[in-house]
Amino acid sequence: MIDNTFSRRRFLSLGGGAALAAGLAACTGTGSDDTATGGSGTGTKTLRLFTYEDNSTIDLLKAQIKQFDTQNGTTTTVDSLPGSGAAVYPDKLRTELLGGSGPDVWRIWGGQIGAPYVKAKQAMDLSKYYQKFGWDSKINQAAVSGMTFDGIKSGVPYIGAGIGVWYSKAAFAKAGIAAPPTSYAELEEANAKLVKSGITPAGLGGKYGWDIMRLFEYLLETSAGPDLHDKLLVGAETWDRPEVVTAFTNFKKWQDQKWLPDGAVGLDPADVELWYVQGKAAYTLTGQWTEAQGIQAGGKKSADFGVFAAPTAGQPLRHSGFVEGYMINAKAGNPDMAAALIDFLVKPESQKAVKVTSSVVTGAEPDKATLPLSYEWSQGPGRQPFYTIQDQALPKKQADQYFAIQSDVLQGKTSPADAAKKMQDVIKAWDKS
Amino acid sequence: MTSVVPTAALPDATIAGTGPARSARRKSTGGIGTTVVMTLVALLWISPLALLVITAVRPLADFVSHGPLSWPETFTLKNFADAWGIGNFATTYRNSAILLIMKVPIGVFLSAMLAYALAKLRIRFGAAIMYTVFLGLTIPIYITIVPVFVMARSIGLTDSLLGLVGPYLAFGIPFEVLVLQSFFRQLPDEIIEAARIDGAGPWRIFLTIVLPLSAPALVTVLILDGVATWNEFLFALILLNSNAHKTIPVGLLNFQGQFSNNSTGLAAGILIAVVPILIAYTFLQRWIVGGLTAGASKG
Amino acid sequence: MSAATHRARRARKARHGGPVAWGFALPALIVYFVFLVYPALSSLWFSLTDWDGLSAAYNVVGVDNYKNMAADPVVRQAAINNLIWAVVTVVVPVVLGLALAVALNGKVRGKPVLRLIFYTPAVLPLVSVASIWGWLYNPQYGAINAFLRAVGLDSLAQPWLGQDSTALAATMVAAIWLRIGFPMLLYLAALQGISPDLYEAATVDGASRWQQFWHITMPGLRPAHYVVVALSVIDSFKVFDLIYAMTYGGPGTATQVMGTWMYFNVFQYNQAGYGTAIAVVITVVAIVVSIPYVRSQTKEHAI
Repeated sequence: MIDNTFSRRRFLSLGGGAALAAGLAACTGTGSDDTATGGSGTGTKTLRLFTYEDNSTIDLLKAQIKQFDTQNGTTTTVDSLPGSGAAVYPDKLRTELLGGSGPDVWRIWGGQIGAPYVKAKQAMDLSKYYQKFGWDSKINQAAVSGMTFDGIKSGVPYIGAGIGVWYSKAAFAKAGIAAPPTSYAELEEANAKLVKSGITPAGLGGKYGWDIMRLFEYLLETSAGPDLHDKLLVGAETWDRPEVVTAFTNFKKWQDQKWLPDGAVGLDPADVELWYVQGKAAYTLTGQWTEAQGIQAGGKKSADFGVFAAPTAGQPLRHSGFVEGYMINAKAGNPDMAAALIDFLVKPESQKAVKVTSSVVTGAEPDKATLPLSYEWSQGPGRQPFYTIQDQALPKKQADQYFAIQSDVLQGKTSPADAAKKMQDVIKAWDKS
Repeated sequence: MTSVVPTAALPDATIAGTGPARSARRKSTGGIGTTVVMTLVALLWISPLALLVITAVRPLADFVSHGPLSWPETFTLKNFADAWGIGNFATTYRNSAILLIMKVPIGVFLSAMLAYALAKLRIRFGAAIMYTVFLGLTIPIYITIVPVFVMARSIGLTDSLLGLVGPYLAFGIPFEVLVLQSFFRQLPDEIIEAARIDGAGPWRIFLTIVLPLSAPALVTVLILDGVATWNEFLFALILLNSNAHKTIPVGLLNFQGQFSNNSTGLAAGILIAVVPILIAYTFLQRWIVGGLTAGASKG
Repeated sequence: MSAATHRARRARKARHGGPVAWGFALPALIVYFVFLVYPALSSLWFSLTDWDGLSAAYNVVGVDNYKNMAADPVVRQAAINNLIWAVVTVVVPVVLGLALAVALNGKVRGKPVLRLIFYTPAVLPLVSVASIWGWLYNPQYGAINAFLRAVGLDSLAQPWLGQDSTALAATMVAAIWLRIGFPMLLYLAALQGISPDLYEAATVDGASRWQQFWHITMPGLRPAHYVVVALSVIDSFKVFDLIYAMTYGGPGTATQVMGTWMYFNVFQYNQAGYGTAIAVVITVVAIVVSIPYVRSQTKEHAI
């Protein structure tokens, strides 16, 4: 009897609490109070910029922004969240936007990482500022398209990274490879020679999916060609087709022939990407940042290494790439000022001052003396069109399923033919509304 | 009647059939044997950490050019000095310490109060409260982050250490209450009754009898809570903005770049961050095993 | 009213602590409700919607999220993983922690140092734990495979974190390494409550160390067992940080658990409604598991 009393009471106390909370819940989470950020009114002079600038360059950025403030009589707060990139930064940004106190300007990647903010109408349409400041003529058009969603220019890109093959000249020489391969067949031959000379060819790690995906998308571009590749990425053509199966078959081949490290799917890219500098691998697929952060940080000379675009059959030779840029908060207190800040930051002088090494702004190419390989890239493959790196071309959910399929193929759990079918299911299920 | 004598001072036990000398020898060899085994196990246990230490004392260029599992070609202590700056430790240490001092003692005290109410004071709805406390343990912390942020923002406590105190307290309560109420339950009712008959009020009993007798449990909970607070990352990340307010875990992000990490600096930074906890633990653990066999002593 | 009824009334009142008890309980309860229960419940509401975690608008979809969960193959994998994880990372650390606590409570030299060493892993930031073990597990250059090859067990050297079959086990090893400190600490504290007189008397009676352990130590630790096991089990259901850092749920989705899958859905897939539904399931399961424990602790109340 006493037990009954307790259980009734228990139910009431819990149930009552839940009802109360549900009622309160209706007040939060939806329509946050619309306090405009950065103060009230359009004439406000305070701005807040949120970025994920690395610790080594954040002071440069702040100094640059201080110049802007002096020129315009504004006060800009710069909040930075370095490290861990796309894993942690968007969470904080999203929470702030939900809580109604988001920054006026934020830095973000393009593609499907930036897209949700546009879709949720939290990023402003920047078309009129594009016209006002003439950004179309100052910035690489391919990059701009990386920040254009549904035809609306929603961000201003200033970094464009391209994925290329960065290799160690010593490793190539030892294996008897005279010059970078110019076709996929030659690349396979080069791989065989490297294995024979005792070194793992490609240092790639699949822990987060995207590093090893760089290999797969290259294989896909090679077997499907630019046109079909683009169509596949938006689901306009089915993935269940021979070209895709070829790509998956080649993918498995790389693991079976030991052109990839043992157990590549579990390796951390941060470790493996440096193998070509450490002599544990011959090359890797990565972007220009590796020159400073890999080669030079390891005390090595750029002259001992080289870079080339991974050879495909199509013309022009496309490579995988992605952009990063700035967006403006749809609820910004002073959007004109925010846009002016962005314009200031994408001026070539600013880009150089902040040491942007892969700028898409004309006039801000990497310095030939200090970063020769990056310079070489920017003059050569960097001028070619690129296809959006697949982990930004697809929303994260689809991308993760994509990675899972790749992982299964490499481990031999799914046949290439089945993989193609599964990929088609994944793309079909992508709700693009 | 039965006095509490430290184990070490016990006269050699007379196990039937053996003389004192024999058993004395057995006791000391038993001690050494266990010590040797434990030391070996401990060395094995600590070996992964050796990697951390090695990484911290080698130059970054050496690390990048040879990889994490190579023996360093040169050693340096420079990483620690550099890490202090990169990780902004002067500020983050202060912030983490302030937070720790503000929150941990209060949290443990409040939890002890609730635990006492549950264990000894026979509060009504005890079962309901316990279930609710368990609810707190089971809920993944991430789903509360947005409402907490909204709350903090509406009272203007974002980017403030004070804003963290509320959520931290709340999240510490479940396990502290559960551990403490289990210990309190073991305390003999007679002692409490005796004090009550002597005229002591509930507060006096709580402060002068219950708490001192539970020192091992309290210290245990202090340590666990302290470590959790020191290492808490998510709320600090979301609720704090400016560099002046960041805590140590968020400060450690400074060592990670978008594509590469300052691994040697990070290793040094981690050691810097972790050493005070270890010192505190070494100091505090004496209180856990400090010979306070309180639960057993009678009278 | 008769004196007897008065006395009975007072006795009953005394049985429930009354205002004094509430005085002790309220401060903690208030903080708890405001900063944890309320935010949690208001979030859980979203499990009945299709909220994406970003926009201001959403639709109520009732139990659709739960129905989808039942059909989601990753959820199935995650649930199995959680079960395995729960069993291994509760049993092993608890048993080892107990062994350590007993050993470190007895005749051993250098106790403070040893206790420190076994507790230290628990104090490290998870990012470093993940890095270190990642280096150790590296198939070609890692210390573990190097050791296996050195002792002639080449066939066992494999890509531990790079295979669906071994990734979870490899992560569990790191988890055990990490988690031993907690039971060890609790048991050490609990061991202080067992009177040495009992051991003394038993030794006089001729009981072996093993018998003393089973008949004095274990029963004396029963309350501690409850706490340690209950907390460990619930902790294991919630596991997220370590798996996220070590394998990111991979390879593919092989090491996804409910905690990580919830996180992915809420924060990365913009499916906050669905992800929150997963969180609700975690919570419910954990509460159900905790029922025996809570009953054991509150049974006296019913008397």
